[in-house]
Amino acid sequence: MITLTINEKDITLEKPVTVLEAARKAGIKIPTLCHHEALKPFGGCRLCIVEVERMPRLQTACTLLAADGMVVKTESDTISKVRRGILEFLLINHPLDCPYCDKAGECELQDLVNKYGPTTGRFKEEKRKVPESHKDQIFTRNMERCVVCTRCVRMCSDVQGASAISIIGRGSHSKMEPFSTESFKCEYCGNCLTVCPVGAILSRLYIHSFRPWQIDKEVETLCSYCGVGCSLVAQVRDDSIKRVIPKIGLGLNKGLLCSRGRFGYEYINSAERLKMPLVRKNGELKESTWSEALSIVAEKMLEIKNTHGGPAIAGLASPRCSNEDNYVFQKFMRLACGTNNIDSISRTGFAAAQKYFEDLLGQGITANIIEGLRNSETILVLGGDPSAINPVLGLAIREAARRGAKITVLGNAKGLERFKTFQVVPSVFKEADVLEALLTEIYNTRGLRNENPALDRGIRTLCEKAAAKSDMQEVRDLRNILLGSASTAVVLGMDLLQRSDGHKALFAVAGLIYLLEARLYLLSEKPNEQGVIDTGCAPDLLPGGRPLGIHEFRRKFEAAWDGVIPEKEGLTLLEIINDASEKRIKALYIMGENPVFNLPDKPFVRGALKSLDFIVVQDIFLTETAELADVVLPALGWTERTGTYTNLERRIQLQHKAVETPSGMEDWKIISEISSKMGYRMNYSDSKDVMAEIAEVSPLYRDLTYQEISKGNCLWPYNGEPLRGEISEAPAAVNITKEYKDDFYLAVEKPLFHSGTLSRRAPALLKIYPEPALKVGMETAKKLELKDGDRVQFFTQYGSKEAFVSTDESIKDNRVYYSNNFKNNGVLHLMSFNMDNVTKAPGLEGCEVRIKKI
Amino acid sequence: MFNDSVLNEIEGIKAKYPDRRSALLPSLYIAQREFGWLSHEAMQYVAKTLNLPEAEVRGTSSFYAMFKHQPIGRHLIQLCTNVSCMILGAERLADMLVQKYGLQPNSTSPDGRFSLVIMECIGACGTAPAMLVNTDFHDNLTEKRIEEILEGYK
Repeated sequence: MITLTINEKDITLEKPVTVLEAARKAGIKIPTLCHHEALKPFGGCRLCIVEVERMPRLQTACTLLAADGMVVKTESDTISKVRRGILEFLLINHPLDCPYCDKAGECELQDLVNKYGPTTGRFKEEKRKVPESHKDQIFTRNMERCVVCTRCVRMCSDVQGASAISIIGRGSHSKMEPFSTESFKCEYCGNCLTVCPVGAILSRLYIHSFRPWQIDKEVETLCSYCGVGCSLVAQVRDDSIKRVIPKIGLGLNKGLLCSRGRFGYEYINSAERLKMPLVRKNGELKESTWSEALSIVAEKMLEIKNTHGGPAIAGLASPRCSNEDNYVFQKFMRLACGTNNIDSISRTGFAAAQKYFEDLLGQGITANIIEGLRNSETILVLGGDPSAINPVLGLAIREAARRGAKITVLGNAKGLERFKTFQVVPSVFKEADVLEALLTEIYNTRGLRNENPALDRGIRTLCEKAAAKSDMQEVRDLRNILLGSASTAVVLGMDLLQRSDGHKALFAVAGLIYLLEARLYLLSEKPNEQGVIDTGCAPDLLPGGRPLGIHEFRRKFEAAWDGVIPEKEGLTLLEIINDASEKRIKALYIMGENPVFNLPDKPFVRGALKSLDFIVVQDIFLTETAELADVVLPALGWTERTGTYTNLERRIQLQHKAVETPSGMEDWKIISEISSKMGYRMNYSDSKDVMAEIAEVSPLYRDLTYQEISKGNCLWPYNGEPLRGEISEAPAAVNITKEYKDDFYLAVEKPLFHSGTLSRRAPALLKIYPEPALKVGMETAKKLELKDGDRVQFFTQYGSKEAFVSTDESIKDNRVYYSNNFKNNGVLHLMSFNMDNVTKAPGLEGCEVRIKKI
Repeated sequence: MFNDSVLNEIEGIKAKYPDRRSALLPSLYIAQREFGWLSHEAMQYVAKTLNLPEAEVRGTSSFYAMFKHQPIGRHLIQLCTNVSCMILGAERLADMLVQKYGLQPNSTSPDGRFSLVIMECIGACGTAPAMLVNTDFHDNLTEKRIEEILEGYK
């Protein structure tokens, strides 16, 4: 216990903190410029000087640890004089261009000079001249305004880990510059913008478009891009989003954002937004009215239900929609349409993996807190680059690395290049073999845990069948790292399971986390992949993860809902597509998803959708899928409606409405109106009503209200409670005997700057990453004699495509990557798929690629 | 690019320190020795060799006047004009370099043979005036002596 006195106020501290922190906790303000909550103490600007009794000189409060009995004064004539002097020095070279500087009004330097002076300057010399740089697409850099506090540089290197900028030069010539001197060519997280106290770095998205005091309102909400669920603040003026900023201390991201979250918001203002319902008449989609469109949907769905039965109808929910939307969606499908054929695009990855792991290890096995990654001793990263898929989760891994954790990577992970301690790069499609070898090594050393009989049996069968010892030194090294670690986390990307035998890799991962008692994190590309499952948008699950197959659960929900739930489990995503192509499914209701573009084998998926009698698509854009629909219903987008989202760690958070839009309706509202028209009445006045019902029927959300969620920290681990009963055997592995030789393989790039097909309408992200390139590793480039900017044509057995080459040192195997985010410029149509019968995820096939220079 | 023996030299430096950042300054010296000056490509190459961020390499190297970020002549003359050297005629020597060799301070002679930097005290006040040519130290300079000395640097 430490007691000190600051400005004659006694302050008691539980643990030693700096004088600055102690003062702030007691509500005493000490001015700072180089200090920032998100950064380590620096002691550079000297503005936080304080007088401490019995200490000879003025001390910097930001670096001085509070000690027992200390007597501190934060304001005095001497202190004010020194602060004024420091500010006078800072202003020697400052251009004092506040009238047209965007920062004016929220500038820390301006505020400090306003408080302490000086009112005049004594320096007659010329100020240094550094022209403002507009060479970067996103950032404007004005180095005349820079006070060299180095917050941006420290943010970039110590927190973001991108280390893209540095202070160049010395003394009064110092300035911040990216390596290339002009364009930043960085991760464009924009966290440097957050910390810059002056107008030295500004965003070109809104430069000179408003002054900070002209903001009408600030709405705390959630990012709409990935499964991390970062909190952010949307600043609104004239009913449009002017700027997205983080708030230090708000949400799990604690003030950090990534490029998508910070700069990707403009898509909601796109001119291509759907405004009116579209109805197909004489083969063409024509604008219609809401009442006509909704009636057509209700009539047609009823007709198909009555003629072909409920199971002839299927629905795709959306991990981009809220829990409320998805809950109402599955209820509509089950009770109004009479089908359990409900799934989502998540089945291609997250939902498949999540189900597989929960089946083996119990519910809640993936509910781990991102913050916990920071304290892990060892992190094993598989099947994707966390820093691109879930950038803010990637930051936790980078911080763990800085704290000395061992970051081990299997495969390629660009964002961890400078942070990994160990990497194994299996040959293409041999990932499962390497994981099995690793599991065998660990089994041979540590043995079984004897807590999960089915898994124990599965591991024993697998490992005893395998050769007693792996001949790969790398695997043994990796085993030693993992066995020497007291707390291990496994971060799993979905590339690993998109194989026809993807479940083999998943089983090995399950074995590893079980034997090592490791925590598992599933990377999640969309914001509500967990929520989709939790609200019951799965063919085998009711809300709250309750298995449909258990009679008591079904009975309970039927009573609550006053309707009949079909008994038979429904079809998963690929089964639905398949049954559609074979005309067993007649109608498909798609909410906020674009399967035509986001599934492999486009001709097949397209054909399957075309052979349907009736397709309804709810979306905010006319997507490739919506173009095939019979009725297209315009929904509301991010910041246009309120709803809850469940992130990958199962944290339930609120996304708030910030702006009014004249067109479009909430997804849940559209569905409930159709449902009522079809004879199953739904009466919700707003999304809060929906949440109230979810909280009532689902034990997972018991007593959960918006008020409760707003307080933060609504985390729902299921305590690993197994609800599905004992599994008797680990699923038998399917062995694929196909040999892969020295070919090159096409893979889907998961870029940092894009996400699904949403970001293709975000102008800022398109400036950063305007068109896809074929990303090749250095070895591949050497073998094929390719260099950056070369134009190539690449062929798979399903087609070909032209692209520029971009070499990438982080690609260490024979894969070449191409993005599937751009309009008319995807890559999945060049592949086919073969469903993994265990996980029901698509195994990508036909990825062998030939590359020809043109 | 570095040849194998230079790469080995850098590996040797890296092995001395627990943190590879510590190897940055010596590696930059080596790069300057090998390439003459530190171009963007050279800094990029050092960054790659040490697995350090490029911006950090550039930031560090830009702090030190001893690292050259523009091409310089084959030989670098660093002439002191601080108090002792100045009293003993260093400024005359600087003028002579301009007249005789076309060597303005902070520039390179037209034939690319020499670059001249006027530097602060090099601690040779007792035997002033003094200069460095590359890493060789020369003192008790006169105009004639400079000419003789520079004959040795072609």
